[in-house]
Parts: sequence; C-alpha cells; structure tokens
Amino acid sequence: MSVVTEAARAMPVVSHRPWWRGRIVQVAAIVGLMFLAYRAWRLEYPWPSSLVWNSLPTHFDDFQIWLLDQRTAEDKSVVFALFDGFRVFVDNLVAQFNELLLDLTWVGTTVAGTLLVLRFGGIRAALWVLGAFASFALMGLWEESIQTLALMLVAVAFSLLVGIPLGIAAGRSNRFNSAITPVLDTMQVVPAFAYLIPVVLLFSVGSAAAVVATMIYAIPPAVRITALGIRRVPVNTVEAAASMGSTGRQILTKVQLPLARRMLLLAVNQTTLFALSIVVIAALIGGEGLGGVVIRGLASSPAEAILGGIAIVILAMALDRSTEAIAERTDPTRRHVDDAARKRLRLWSLATGIGIAAAVVAAKPFGVSGIYPDTIGSEPDPRNATIEEWLLAKIQVVLDSVQDPFSFVFSITEPVGIFILQKLLLPLQGFLVEGPWFATVAGLTVIALVVSGLRPALTTLAMLLSIGVLGVWALAMDTLSQVLVATAIAVALGVALGIWAAESRIVSKTLRPVNDVLQTLPQLVYIVPFIYLMPVSIVPGVIAGVLYAFPVVARLVERGIRDVAPAAVEAADAYGATRRQRLTKVKIPLAGDAIMLGVNQGIIMVLAVVVIGGLVGSGGLGYEVAQGLVRGQFGQGVVASLAILALGIALDRVTQGTRRARKEGIG
Amino acid sequence: MTETVANRKKEGRMSDRGGRRGVGLIGLVLVAVASLAVSGSAFGGGAQGCGTVVLNENSWTGATSNVYVAKYVLEKRLGCKVKVTTITEGLPAFQAMADGKIDVVLEDWDNTLTPSNQKYLKNGSVRLAGKLGITGVIGWYIPRYLLQQYPAFATWRGLKGKEAIFKSPESGSQGMFLGGDPSYVQKDRAIIKGLGLNFKHVVAGAEPAQVARWTQLYKQKKPVLFYWYDPQYLNATYQLVRIKLPARTAKCKDDEKAGGDPKQYACEYPSYGLDKLISKKFATGGSSAVAFIKKFNWTSADQNTVSNLIAGKKLKPDKAAAQWVKANAAKVNAWLK
Repeated sequence: MSVVTEAARAMPVVSHRPWWRGRIVQVAAIVGLMFLAYRAWRLEYPWPSSLVWNSLPTHFDDFQIWLLDQRTAEDKSVVFALFDGFRVFVDNLVAQFNELLLDLTWVGTTVAGTLLVLRFGGIRAALWVLGAFASFALMGLWEESIQTLALMLVAVAFSLLVGIPLGIAAGRSNRFNSAITPVLDTMQVVPAFAYLIPVVLLFSVGSAAAVVATMIYAIPPAVRITALGIRRVPVNTVEAAASMGSTGRQILTKVQLPLARRMLLLAVNQTTLFALSIVVIAALIGGEGLGGVVIRGLASSPAEAILGGIAIVILAMALDRSTEAIAERTDPTRRHVDDAARKRLRLWSLATGIGIAAAVVAAKPFGVSGIYPDTIGSEPDPRNATIEEWLLAKIQVVLDSVQDPFSFVFSITEPVGIFILQKLLLPLQGFLVEGPWFATVAGLTVIALVVSGLRPALTTLAMLLSIGVLGVWALAMDTLSQVLVATAIAVALGVALGIWAAESRIVSKTLRPVNDVLQTLPQLVYIVPFIYLMPVSIVPGVIAGVLYAFPVVARLVERGIRDVAPAAVEAADAYGATRRQRLTKVKIPLAGDAIMLGVNQGIIMVLAVVVIGGLVGSGGLGYEVAQGLVRGQFGQGVVASLAILALGIALDRVTQGTRRARKEGIG
Repeated sequence: MTETVANRKKEGRMSDRGGRRGVGLIGLVLVAVASLAVSGSAFGGGAQGCGTVVLNENSWTGATSNVYVAKYVLEKRLGCKVKVTTITEGLPAFQAMADGKIDVVLEDWDNTLTPSNQKYLKNGSVRLAGKLGITGVIGWYIPRYLLQQYPAFATWRGLKGKEAIFKSPESGSQGMFLGGDPSYVQKDRAIIKGLGLNFKHVVAGAEPAQVARWTQLYKQKKPVLFYWYDPQYLNATYQLVRIKLPARTAKCKDDEKAGGDPKQYACEYPSYGLDKLISKKFATGGSSAVAFIKKFNWTSADQNTVSNLIAGKKLKPDKAAAQWVKANAAKVNAWLK
C-alpha cells in the first residue's frame, strides 16, 4: 500500500473532467444520510454482543502458551531447533560485525566508511558519512551508533536477501505479484508491537530478534521496488532478447537485472530507511544501540532521548545520501564506461583499499581504540572533549521552555489543541462511536462503491464486519475518527506545501530534509514535547500522524504538479494566462489524481503511527496493542492489530480503488 | 555507556560470513581490511573471578537506580564486569532470562503472576532471588495544594459530587481521571464505576506522556486526579497525596480485564513486595555475584534519592550511584557480608 506508484502521467488533456468531481456530491449525500441515522438512533445500536467472537483472544493466548511450551521443552522439535540455530548464527554475525567495526579502530572505521562512499558515491555523499561519524563521536554516542550500524547493515542485508528474489519473481509474474501483495500490506500495517512477543518466543531477545522484527517491516519495500524495477524494463527490449533466442534465465540476468539496477539500488536505499525507522521498537527486544538510548532516556532524561533520536536521524540521512549517490553514480544506463575509464576506476578502488588499510595499520600502533575515547573511567577525557554535555544542556533549555505553562507559545498552542479536540475529534468520535453500527457499515460501503467500484466495496464491507466480529467496534471507530482528522490536516498541509514546492525550488529543497527527519526521528522523541504544549489527550497522537504523513502527501502532490503535461501549461501560456491562473486553472486540476493518491497514502501513513498515538494518550486500538505487549495480554494485542489491519484495508479500498474508477472515467 | 562485548573470538571471524553478501562491496573491502588489522588492540581488560553479570534496566527511573547502584558495587567491590540491557518487562525479559541473555532483574512488579511467566518459574529457568525491600504502592493521587483547598478529598467519599472540579477539555461535564501507562496494572475504570463516581477515564499514554500531562496542570496549580505510584522519583519534587479508596477485603479483584461486577474492584490496589529475579544460568553458574544480588536490598527513600540525582539533577546514572554508595558505606557493606 505504501509504495508510491507513478502519478498520473500523460493523460488526455482534452475535456479532462476529474473522475472524482461528480462523486463529491454523492459522497456528501451518503454522509448526510449517515448523520440522519446518527441523530435518530444515537447510542441505541452499538455493535451487538451476540455478533462477537469472544473466545478469539483466548485462542491467541493459547497459541502463545503453546509456543512457549515448545520453546522451553527439554528436547525441542526440529523446527524449533532450526529457529535456535538461526538465532545463534545471527547473534554471532551481528556481534562479530560489531567487533570488526570496533577492531578497525574509530579512526579506521571513519576512514573506511568515508573512502568507500567517496569511491562509489562521490564527494558529497562521502562528506555526509564523515560528518555522521564525527557527530557520533562528538555526541558521545560512538559505541551505540556502531552497534546500531552493525545491526542495521545485517538486517538490511537479510531483508534484501529475501526481498530481492521475491521482488524479481513478483516483477516477472503477475499472479505471484497479486498473491504476495496482501502479505506485504499485512507486514507493513500490522504494528510491530503485535509480533514482538512471537518473535521473542522464537528468537529470544537480542540481535537476532531485532533483526527479524526489522526484516518484517523492511522486506516489503525491497520486494515492491524490485518488482517495479523489473516491470519498468521496456517490453520491446525483453521481446528483442526473447526473439534472439534468450532463455528466461538469460533475459533475467543479461537484460532485466542490469536495466533494473538503479531501482535495485533504490530498493537498498528504501529498505535501509524503513529498517532505521523501527530501530527504537527493535531495541525493546534487542536492547542495545541508539534505540536503547532513546528508550532509557524517555523515562528519566528526555534530553538524552532526543540526542539519541538525532543520532538516528543523522545515521539515516548519511545512509540515505550514500546509497542514493551510489545508485546514481554506478547506473550503467547513465554512464558509459570505456576501457580507459574502467582502468582509472580500478586504480581508484585500489587506492581506496590501500587508504583504508593504511589508516587502520597506522592507527593500531598509536593505541587508537575501537570506541571514540571520550572518557577515562567514568570521567570525561579532556583530550577528546565531546559536546555531549553542552548539547544536553541546550536541549534541556528548550525542553524547559516547552514545559512552561506560562510561556507565550503555550498561550497559542493550548487553545489550538483544545479546538482540535472539541471541534473536530470529539464530535467525529461521537458520530462514529455512538452512531448505529449498521448505518456506519452501510455508509462506508456505499462510499467505497461510489468512489472505487464494486469489488473494493465488497472488501470494505467484509473488513468492517470483521472488525465488529473481533469485538473492537467502538475502539476501531474511535481510532477511525482520529485517523480521519489526522489525514484531513495532513492532506491540507501537504497539498498546500506540495503546490508551493512545485512552484519554488527552494521550498522543494527544504522539504527533503524535513521529510527525512520526520520519517526517521522516533515519534516518541518529538511527541512528548507536544503533550506539554497541547495538554489534551488524543491531540498529540493526531499530531504524530500529521507529522508522519504530511511530507509524503506534499511530495506526491509536488510530483503530480511537476508532471503535468508541459503541452497543457504551454497552451495556457500562449493564451496569456497569469502565473496564478496557470496554477489554479491548469496545473492543480490536472494533478487532481496525484492529490487523491496523496490522500490514500496519507491515511495509510497515519494508520502506521496509530500505536504511537496509543502511547501518547489517544486510546483506541493503539492503546490495546501497546498494552497487549507488556501486560501479558497477547491475544488482546493481536486482535486489536488485526482490527487495525482491517481498518487499513477498508480505508485503502475506499480511496485507493479510485485508480480503477479513474480509468473507467477516462475510458 | 555500557561495557563492550567481553569475548573476542578471532578465529571465528572468517567463517560465518555467508549472510553478508548483500552488503556487497562494502563488506568485501571491510573483510580485506579486517585481515590486515593487527591483532593487538587497545581495549579489553579482564574480569576477575565473578565473570560478567547482565543486569536488565526497566523503563522507569527507579529501575535505573537499582541497576546502576548494583553495577557500581559489582564492578568496584567484586571486580565483576557488568553489562546493562534494556529489554522490555514481562514476557520478553523472562524469555531473555530463560535463554541466559539476562542474569538479573532487580525490580519486578508481579510479572511472576501471569500464566505464561509462571511457566518460567515452574521449570526453574527464572528464579526468585528475594525481595528488593521496597513496597510498591499504586493508587489515586492528587496534588497537596488541592487538599488544602478541599480537605474532603483525602478519601474517595469527598470526591463524590465534586467530580466537575476535575473537568478538562476532553471530559465534557464529567471530571477527568488521568489513567496510567498501558503497561502498568490498572483497574480504575472499574473502581470509578463501582463507586458510582462521575469521572471520565482519560488515557494519557505511556509514563512520559502521563507525567507531561499532570505536571503541566500541577505547575498551573489546577486540579488533577490521576493514577500514580510509589516509589517514584517525582514524588520528591512534587507534593502528592494518595486518596483513600475503600479498604481491601478478601473479595477484592484487581485485573479489570477479567470483567464481572465493578463493585468487586472498588477497593485499594494491593501493595507489591517487589521481587528480584535471577536466571537459572546465573544462579547455578557459581558467580560470586549471586550472593550479593540476593542480599541487595534498600528502601524506597534510598531509591528515590538516587532516582532524583539521575532524573532531577541530570547526573549520569554511574555518577549518581557512586555518590550514593560513598554516602551509604554501611548499607553497602551489609550487602557484601
């Protein structure tokens, strides 16, 4: 669900009437009817308890106990012995990789990272890497950063090992693609909190468990982007190869893979970012590295949690910039390497290898340690000062001012928070939770029918009914109201910024780092200050959703507007349209579909942080999932997670099915 | 900053590199460099006798205080190496002990009672190692300034009819009851119902979120009623009072998820004699640290002192522990006898 597909390109410009325009009225009418039903039967028809599968959580609990029995049995079955083997293997792998990075000494690791990226990615990316290592040292987080780096590289490697072959298969076979898509959706939408317990039971705690939890989240983008890359290889090239008698294997290895190379490297890039975005959750069962810093800091020293969060963002941005640069620079379709150049590159590689080796060999006799030596014993080392204390003090100043209920900022944010709560969230929550259930089910299904067509409508119906049967109807409606409000705000913000970015290079350039920070900075780190600023429950969770989703909406809208056929824009210019007219009369209407795609993606992204919302006072399904993890109520957590998944699929069908509807509209 | 991994296996390094192919070029070059790396290195340092002890730090500050005081004594007095992990409480921590990944949990709030965790105790992979010496108390708390204004709020009866004083933007005409962290034991919804009070139970989320919410109201000297507990370092900074709920009887129920008549829940939370847990591997491994862990024992005032140094004064946990140990030599010596 969350892979960004190509936005509307090259559509017939003549007589384009966006498919959704006529439908807005219909949707409004349906909502009106739902409202009438709400007024008539408020609180009279909650989901009937006779239609609830009450024993379901118990079955999941039994499953957990069964797993536990198998796991602790004296003589384990073969399957569990295999899990044990995998665990030991991965634990050792991560530990030794970590060792290796420490063995190179901190100087050697820095030089190695920088020179490697310099060789394959160029000077800008190399500077990013150098800057990242320098900041880990200066922040006093060297050891934790290396632990996270080692863990991430192993997790990404495993994710790619699984994801790329699956992606290739999905790219070559439509049937396999449609079979695997729902699995990938499930892996991404089901909150990580729900599968932490089974992962712990199968893989214990530690690196292996963290790697597995990360893989579940990071494999889907690897599969999707690889498949997209294979599919994008021009059909005539493949046909040409086939007509020359290439076997399927040859077509794959000689044509499709080389031509999809850039997308494959993009898959590496995205997989890395996804992996880093759950590093904090993985630390709950892996217990080390930067994620551990964040968790430890949240309870007793929020400034340290923020510092750890910043280090995670820096690591993510350095990895992002370098994998992207490597993808661009080594793309064979963009760069034709002749023999002379190839020779030069070989020399370059050799020089890189020698440089790294020299740095390591030189560092060793000087007693350079594996960890940046910022302390002697527990006292700070004056020769290798860090700015950790200084940074922590600065962050603390900001935190203190945020916590001051008599500040100027608070006098603005508090009423805004109360407004969002009282005028948007609570009324909508009341409408969805207290309205008659059948009206809500029927209403949403008919909206899906109008907007997306028959099949999506049937899926929506099935999903809504299963939420009820799971026994969490009211909680799910509570969550739905939050998701809708967060999406509305994110879309409003994202569309405005996206349009602005499409018109202004500077805005476009600033959006990117903002996006990077918001995607990788652990939400708990930046959401807690919002609780001080907007001290009303639910709102901080909604803000978390908005902040996570709006950059993606903005990017989709920006791209949609930039991709508007130049012919249409030129025609408008020829008629003497002003810049404003060109934007409002031509570009935005033509980018309507990209905007709808933004709405769809926005909803899915908001849903992805529902559990975080539960942790900052949003209640609903997110709270149930979070509680399930720690209070030994595994079944409850799984049931709530399934409901989140069902809600996600239903909302996706209501909005994403539009692509099919759009095609009908055009045809 | 915790200890680095203790054992460095040089021989094994070249063998299980199979899965790393995905890292591709980067991995290859690193391997080349690794083989160049000379064996002598600058760090290491050995353990003397007691070996490595892995302490698990739970997500509240009191747990940090336990762990770092124990760590300080283990390192400085017993010559152990100590590793600190942050595995989440409940089943993950129990499984970690069963697998020998964690040796010690110093403060367990009755996780031993859930059916799945019982299994670990029954098969002996997780063992009780005595009490921490602190009694955990859970209840309904209000700021002291509120009690001065409304003395009747000392017990729940005083709240009856006055709920609207605790009104908040999200509670409508009702009063707001601020619930606790989702991971903590709670039955407040049932108590509210059982006592017939007109409160809306508002979940504040994880502990940092809940603290943010009530401290903000406290600073404005506004009324607030919330789920809270002791020992907790904030109790040294904020003047809080626990409201008397109906006394416990034999029929009292505590897990509101079990359902049934809410009246059965309408009584005080039980108090918790906090347990220390150790893994089978650690208990039977012959480490000299076992006896110390079993004797480790202090009061909630002690713990709050250290917690306040860490969370209030922003001292590094290691330093806070050192400071407390130096000032309390007699107590520490008793643990080592």
